[in-house]
Order: sequence, then structure tokens, then C-alpha cells
Amino acid sequence: MAADAYTFIFAILISLVNLFLQVFFTIMYSDLECDYINPIDLCNRLNNYVLPEAAAHAALTIVFLLTGHWIVLLLNAPIFAYNAHKIYTNTHLLDATEIFRTLKKHKQESFIKLACYLVFFFLYLYCMIAALVRED
Amino acid sequence: MSQEHPEQGSSSKRRVYPQQQYDFAAAQPAGYSMPDPTQPYGASASPSAAMYGGAHAIPSPAAFQPHTANVQSGAFAPPPGTPGSAVDPPVAPGVAGGMAYGAPQAAGAAYGYQGLTNQMGNLNIGGGGAYQGGAPPGAAGGAHMAAPTQLNQIYNTDLLQNFPPPISDLTLPPPPVILPPGSSVTGNPDPNADSEFMRCTLNTVPTSSSLLKKSKLPFALVIRPYTALRDADENVPTVADTTIARCRRCRSYINPYVVFLEGGARWRCNMCNLTNDVPSGFDYDAVANKPRDRWSRAELNHSVVEFVAPAEYMVRPPQPLVYVFVLDVSVHSVKNGLLATAARTIKESLSRIPNVDNRTRVGFLAVDSSLHYFAIPRKEDVAEGEGEEGEENEWPEPRMMVVSDIDDPFLPMPTDLLVNLSQCKGGIEKLLDSLQSMFAHTVNPASALGSAVVAAHKLIANIGGKIVCLTSTLPNVGQGKLEVRDDKKALGTSREGQMLQTASTFYKSFAVECSKTQVTVDMFLFSSHYQDVASLSNLPRFSAGQTYFYPGWIASNPEDANKFALEFSEYLSQELATEAVLRVRSCDGIRMSAFYGNFFSRSSDLCSFSTFPRDQSYVIEVNIEETIVKPWVTFQAAILHSTASGERRIRVITRAFPTSALLQDIYASADQIAITTYLANKAVEKALQKGPQDARDLLMNRLNEMFTCYKKDLMTTNVGASAPLQFCTNLRMLPLLVNALIKHIGFRKTSQIPSDLRSAALCLLSTLPDKYLIQYIYPNFYNLIFMPDEAGLPDAETGQIVMPPCTNLSGEHLISHGLFLIDDGQVMFLWVGRDAQPALLQDVFGVSSITEVPTGKTELPVLDNQFNERIRNIISKAREKTDAITYQHLYVVREDGEPALRLWATTHLVEDRVEQSGVTYHQFLTSIREKLNS
Repeated sequence: MAADAYTFIFAILISLVNLFLQVFFTIMYSDLECDYINPIDLCNRLNNYVLPEAAAHAALTIVFLLTGHWIVLLLNAPIFAYNAHKIYTNTHLLDATEIFRTLKKHKQESFIKLACYLVFFFLYLYCMIAALVRED
Repeated sequence: MSQEHPEQGSSSKRRVYPQQQYDFAAAQPAGYSMPDPTQPYGASASPSAAMYGGAHAIPSPAAFQPHTANVQSGAFAPPPGTPGSAVDPPVAPGVAGGMAYGAPQAAGAAYGYQGLTNQMGNLNIGGGGAYQGGAPPGAAGGAHMAAPTQLNQIYNTDLLQNFPPPISDLTLPPPPVILPPGSSVTGNPDPNADSEFMRCTLNTVPTSSSLLKKSKLPFALVIRPYTALRDADENVPTVADTTIARCRRCRSYINPYVVFLEGGARWRCNMCNLTNDVPSGFDYDAVANKPRDRWSRAELNHSVVEFVAPAEYMVRPPQPLVYVFVLDVSVHSVKNGLLATAARTIKESLSRIPNVDNRTRVGFLAVDSSLHYFAIPRKEDVAEGEGEEGEENEWPEPRMMVVSDIDDPFLPMPTDLLVNLSQCKGGIEKLLDSLQSMFAHTVNPASALGSAVVAAHKLIANIGGKIVCLTSTLPNVGQGKLEVRDDKKALGTSREGQMLQTASTFYKSFAVECSKTQVTVDMFLFSSHYQDVASLSNLPRFSAGQTYFYPGWIASNPEDANKFALEFSEYLSQELATEAVLRVRSCDGIRMSAFYGNFFSRSSDLCSFSTFPRDQSYVIEVNIEETIVKPWVTFQAAILHSTASGERRIRVITRAFPTSALLQDIYASADQIAITTYLANKAVEKALQKGPQDARDLLMNRLNEMFTCYKKDLMTTNVGASAPLQFCTNLRMLPLLVNALIKHIGFRKTSQIPSDLRSAALCLLSTLPDKYLIQYIYPNFYNLIFMPDEAGLPDAETGQIVMPPCTNLSGEHLISHGLFLIDDGQVMFLWVGRDAQPALLQDVFGVSSITEVPTGKTELPVLDNQFNERIRNIISKAREKTDAITYQHLYVVREDGEPALRLWATTHLVEDRVEQSGVTYHQFLTSIREKLNS
């Protein structure tokens, strides 16, 4: 199998992980809205996953960069830039004191990321199959 | 303070200063005699009444309240004369209207007051059809409003003609809430909660969210659960039999608006319409052991009641009150005298700390670059609550333990650090006496405040309570250490917003920790240098505390020491509630969407307070999610708390408001004070997130939207070419308040305000109860040489000091020989004009020439003449309050004196330009009009 196929298998795995994380985030946010969880627990729990998610995505982006997959790199660049900006300005962690005021924004972000990762997942799948087919 | 000065004989007359008499004549042609209390046509005519723009003549000047006019019967007085006809040709709209009166007035008292009112009425009609006419009776509210109830009428005011704004409106009660007859279950004539406890921005609630959106008015509740610092000053009925009837579904409490069914065996909830059983003990008096009259129950008659809660409402038995004082003992605090003053004040106030059941506990912690714990040993042989007095010398010495590990603070010993106030009073006093001498020779400039708060939290985490921080040093070591980030160049620029945000996440995350363990942190900040109030204030903000800022405080100034001692003593004496939660419930389709104030939101509709302060108010934004079909809706705020005396209680505040589907009803019942309170909170939130510029934009946009909506949908009259700026009468102070808010120290566009002052102002703006908030935004301004004869003396009936009428905050009133008092509730300025007469100076200050008048922070000398006494009475009356701890500083400002002080005082004249970039209120209105008509 070619390097291409391996790259995309890796990409599929990462995007699966991120997909599940975003689903988890979304569920937690709606739990908060329905008062099933209190904001302190929510923030403590979710904040553990914010950096891993960003790191996984960053790793994937770098892999694309190194392997020269320019189109998918371009597609991933906005999310990468957004995450980097949040971490740089130290606003990536959830703040239990402000969570109810910013919940709408967080939910929106989570939905958009969810949609992106879903699209990317199928894109990577297609790319992987295409790479495998090309191989044959 | 001397409130009760006996009147010095009725024969003693007010002294008239020669200049004053001269100016009677001089001032009139200048044309600003309208709002001046010296008008020759009878001093009793209040300026607001004279300027009132409605066409219907008001027989009594005090009766300005068009919206109260006979709402029940639906009749209102027809306007005298024909509205919209005879316009006086030479009268142009705008200020010219006011000016035109210069002539007839100067001509003498030829016009009686009534004539003048009619003239003004006609004039305003000419100005733009001021009288729109009410909605036809019965039209309001659709089918379900078929009852003879008629909601408030809408009246137009031309803001530019109604100038200067009639500021007596600011003290008016909100537009009346008109409920259909029979809405309350008992015959109690006034079942609705006092507007002091809860007010709504819209006293008529829109039936749908589209109507609310269209109106552009905010929909929010302003809740102030306590109206006094101590229970004795409040009159709230208590339900002591622990029979608490609540709805099974929505959990709301029984209130005067429920309906009893099936012969009184069941009741229908007025929120969710569920039918509930009446609890068995409801009609039974358990104390007297006999049946009781249901209709005499307080919760059915009063809408502010306090239930004594049974054990189901407790997570644990009510905790004792706990205070831990974190005292800064670095060189700054020792030098400026904070340590000594604080220790003395605490010692003097020990007996004022609420301690009815002898459970209150206190602890002390001193902090510089290390933590100093104090173990106060308990004297075994002293019986509880008695015998301490007189035996103080025999108390064992308190021990000090120094812990220099500030990165991970720990408690050096498990006991004796937090002691019972009654049992260890002698030891506490001994400690407080020796504190100053212990640290007198320190040279340590560091402060590990963050670590000290963590240590204090460790000390009380299993009980909860208050951590009181008194510091005059920027916390520069240990946890949550801060840096000086006060960049003078950034002030007034877009970077300013960052300086209002917290520099260290410690202060937010630790506040969450405090909230979890029922701990509140209060900050008393005294630095003369940058102290990063913005960061430090986050701890109080999210743990239901308060930030008190004393810039440049120094104990050697007796006024500073006095102010702090009085305020701190009041602060310690307030009856705190602990472990409190606040929840607001309302009918189906209404949801509380956002909460503003100092607390932690524990869930989407629950605010949690580790301790509940008594001098703050809270704003709750309301969302309409479904169309409301009820003719009236109720809001119920419930505060579950433990009292200082160890009882679990629920304070329930219920208010009902009518609903309407008509836009004019919504506008006619909008409450400008509540709207301003909401806008202030909203703007503070914006300023903390983005910066003052965004906050100003937000205020401006919200106001413009309201004007646009009002013009588009509610002004039916053809306004003609002159295009006046019309708004409804009950909201006519709103533009002024918004304009004043934009010029307020918290939001003003300037590069002169240090970020510490700005942060402290924002803290106040988001917590002050509406009464003080309005004064903080639009200060009271008294003209002390032209005041009525009775002002400053005790009222014959009530014995209360009569305050002089307020004047518009405009520099044109600052006549050069005058004496004025500006009071914004936090600080007072006594302005002495440059040409003040020697006789006046002699009377007030006891000096013969203006150059000898002491300026700056000072107090008036006590002199034996009536004028001096009256002014002192007015000042002490302005400082007298039972519902706030603030004691205003008095600054004497000479017009020819120190420019900085003068500039500071004049920034309170919010109808003028404030600093270089501002606009006057008139220009502000003109610009709104231009925007509206373009």
C-alpha cells in the first residue's frame, strides 16, 4: 500500500476521534441546558478534551502538510487557524463563570466542527479508496 | 451624626445675600428661569409640572402622572382648548420654547401658574401634536380584556421642546400595574409586591416574542430581595408554621393570585394551571391549636413573604456565620494606616457582627510575602457569652504562626485558627490590639493575597462563610500573582478593554471553587498605586461578594479613616443570609434567559449565593417563548437561604403584570428606571468583554432602535416639516439616563480615567439597587443658596430633614456666587462659586474670604448659625441610609481652586459636555433626531 493510503487511514482515524469528541461536546452542552449537569463539572470534564482535540487536528494538518496533500490541507487550515488562535489568546478552555452567557456560541462552534469532521470523514474515506484504487 | 437639630425658633429667617437679590433680576432675561427654583411666580411650582408637555392642564403641580389618570374608569380629562390649533407664531420648536418665556416672566408675575401651564400646553401641541389620544377603551389586549380595565395610556412628549428635562420624573414610581379586578384571591387591595423588591422593564407584558422584538424594548426583571441591611428596618411578614403550599409541577409557591377550587380543597396554580391539593395544615393554627381563617394567611395577602422552611429544604443544618479577615501587613498597609484602622474598626464592631445564637466564628490571617496565622486560644474557665468583660488581661496571648510556603498553603494547626466570637472575644480583642505593633517595622513590600485567600478558604471550606480581604498592595507573589499592566497610553483606545478583563484565570477559577464550598470573598482595596481591580473584582463577582475601592486612601486623613470605619462597621453589621439560591419562575411560555449581578449561575435558571448581601440588586432578562394567552402573568422570585440566626427560610416575591398584544400598551407601561438598570448591566457585561467603546455603542444602538420603533409605529400624527423628537412621556427620562450612562466614569470616552477606577465603577453599576444606580448615573444636584425655606430643617410632621429640590445637572446653573451640592451616592461635592459673598462664606465655612475656604476632602465646620446647620443637615441626610453601607466623602470644590478637583466635579454635570469629546444632552437629542429623520 502506498503512503497515500496510510495517510488517509490515519486521517480517518483522527477524524473519527474528533467526530466522537464533538458529539460528546454537543451532548454535554445540551445536558447543561437541561440542567442535567452543573457548569463546574461540565467545564472540568470538557476542558480535558479541548487540547487533545486541537492537538489531534493539528497533527493531522501537519501530516497533510508534510505529505503534500494541498487540497485537504487547505480545507483543514481554517479549523487549524481557529484552534491556534483560541489557544494563543488563552480562550480555548471553558469558563464555568461565563458558560451560560457563551453557551450559544460554544454550541454553534461544536455543531460547525461536527459538520466539518463528518464531511472530512467521508472525504478521507473517498481519498483513501481512491488511493487504494490508484494503487491497484 | 446630628439629624435632629431642633429648629432654632420660627422667627429666625433665612439670610438673604445681597448678590442673590441682585441676581433675581439678572437671571431672568437670560432665560433659564424655568427650572430655577427662584421663579417669581410662586416658588412652589415644580419645574417638571410647568414643563410638562401634555396638553391636558394639570391642576396641581405635584400631580404630574398622566399615566395614572383614572385608569379604572377609562376616563381622562379632555384637553383645554382645541389641540393642534392656535399655535403661537413666534414660537419655534426646540429650546426657543423655553427661551420665549423669558420675556413674560421678566415682565413680572403677570402670568399665574395655571396660565403658564396652559401656555406651555398649547405651545407643545404646536410643537408637534403632543397629544395623541388614548386607545379606545376595551381595544387594548383583545378579547380577554373585555373587562372595564384599561391599560395605561400613551402620551407623547417632544423631548427637544420639553427642555431642560424635568428631572423630578426620576423619582416617580413606575407606571402603575393595572390588573383586571378580581385577579387576586383575597380582598387585599394591593397584593402586588412593591416595586422596590421587583420591578419589570415592561409593566404591561407583550403577548408574543414577535411583539417584544418589534418594540425593541428590553424585557427584564430587576430584583432586589432585601431593602434594608438589618431585619429591624424591614417589614416582611413571616409564615412560621412551615406549611408551604407549592405547585406539584412548576414548584411555584402559593401566592395571592392562585384560584381556590372545590370549596377550597384544591388550588389552581397561576403559573402552570395545574390543580393542586391544599395541604392539610393550611387552615390550622398549630401554635394556638385551633382552626384558623385561611384568608388571614400572609402568603395569600402579601406578595413579599418569608416562609420558615422545614428540614426538607436543608442540605445540612444552617451553618454559623463565619468571617475570615485577610489583612495585608505589607509595608504599604502599615504605612497608610490600613492595618491599624482595620484592626480598630473590627474590634469596635465585634459586637455588631450578627451573633444572636452565639455561633458566629471569626478567624484572622495576615499576609505579606508569607502567611501569618493567628491561633486564638480559648479560655476554658470563661463561661459562654458572659464574663469576658473586665477580665481581658487574663486572656492568654494569641500565637502567630508564619508559613512561608505560599505556592501550596497549608494550615499549621487544625484548631484555634477559627474561633467562636462569643467565647474568644477577649483573645480576639487582644490580637487586634497587638496587630499594629507586631508589624510596625515591616519593610516587606510583597503581598501573596491569592495564596492567603486559598489558605482562608481551606480554613472555612467545610463550613462556608465570608473571606474579607483588606489590602493596599497589588498581589505580586504566590498564587494568582499580578503584574502592573496599567498602560497610560492604552487608556481611551481599543486596548483599554483588555485592562478591564482579568489578568489571571486564578481569580475566576478560584471563585468557582469558593462558590462550590459556600464561601464568599469580599475585597476592600486601598491602594494608591495600580492594584488591578479588574482582576481582583472577579472573586467577589462570582462568589456573590462586593468590591469596595478606596483610591488613595490614607488613615492620617481623618475623613478617609472615618469613611472606611463607618462603612466597614455597617458592612459587618449587616444580617447576612448564607447558602442562598435564587430562582425566578413564571408562567408557561416565559423563560428567564440571562442573569446579571454578583453570583454564580449554578444551572440555567438558578443563581447561587454563598452568602447573600443585602445591598445589591439583580437583573434577570426574560424571554417569551410561546404566545401568552393569559390576561396577566406572574413572576415569582424565591430565595432559599439560611438567616444569620440559623433558620432556613424562603423569601418569596410575587408580582403580576397585565399582558397586551398592542404595541402602544407596551410602550405606555414601560419603566424607564428599570430599563436603565437593565441597560447599565448589559453595558457592563459588554465593557468587560469587549471594552467601553462597545458598551457605549450598545447603549446608543439600543436607544436609537427604540426611537426608530416609536417613530415608525406609534407616532400617528403628521409631524410636519419641523420633525420634532417625540417619545412617550413615561420614557422621557430614558435618553437622558442613557446619555448620562455614556458619560459615566465606567463608560466615558476619555484617556483620563485609570483602569482601576473604571473597574470599580463597573462593579458598582452592575450591583447597585435602582435607587442608588440612578443617582450614580444622574447625581442629585442641589442649589443651596436658592433653596426653599423649609429645606434643611426637620419636617414638622415626620421629623425628617427636608431636602431641597434637585436641579438639572448643567453648568449654566453653577452661578458664580452660588453654593451647590452634587451627590452621586458615592461622593459629594460642595461647590463654592468664585464670587461667593463673604457673608455666605462666613456662615458656611467660618472664613471671610474665598481663598481661605478649605478645599478637598473635608467636613463642614460646626458653626452656630442656621444656614450652616441646614447645610450640615442636608449633607447628613444625604448620607443617611439603612439599605447601603456607603458614606459619601465630602469634597469642597472652589470654582477658582485646584483645576483637577474642579474638573472632577464638573464631570458630574452630565447634561453638559463631559471632558473633551462629549456632547451636551441637547446635542445628543439633536443627533438622535437627525439620525431618525435621515
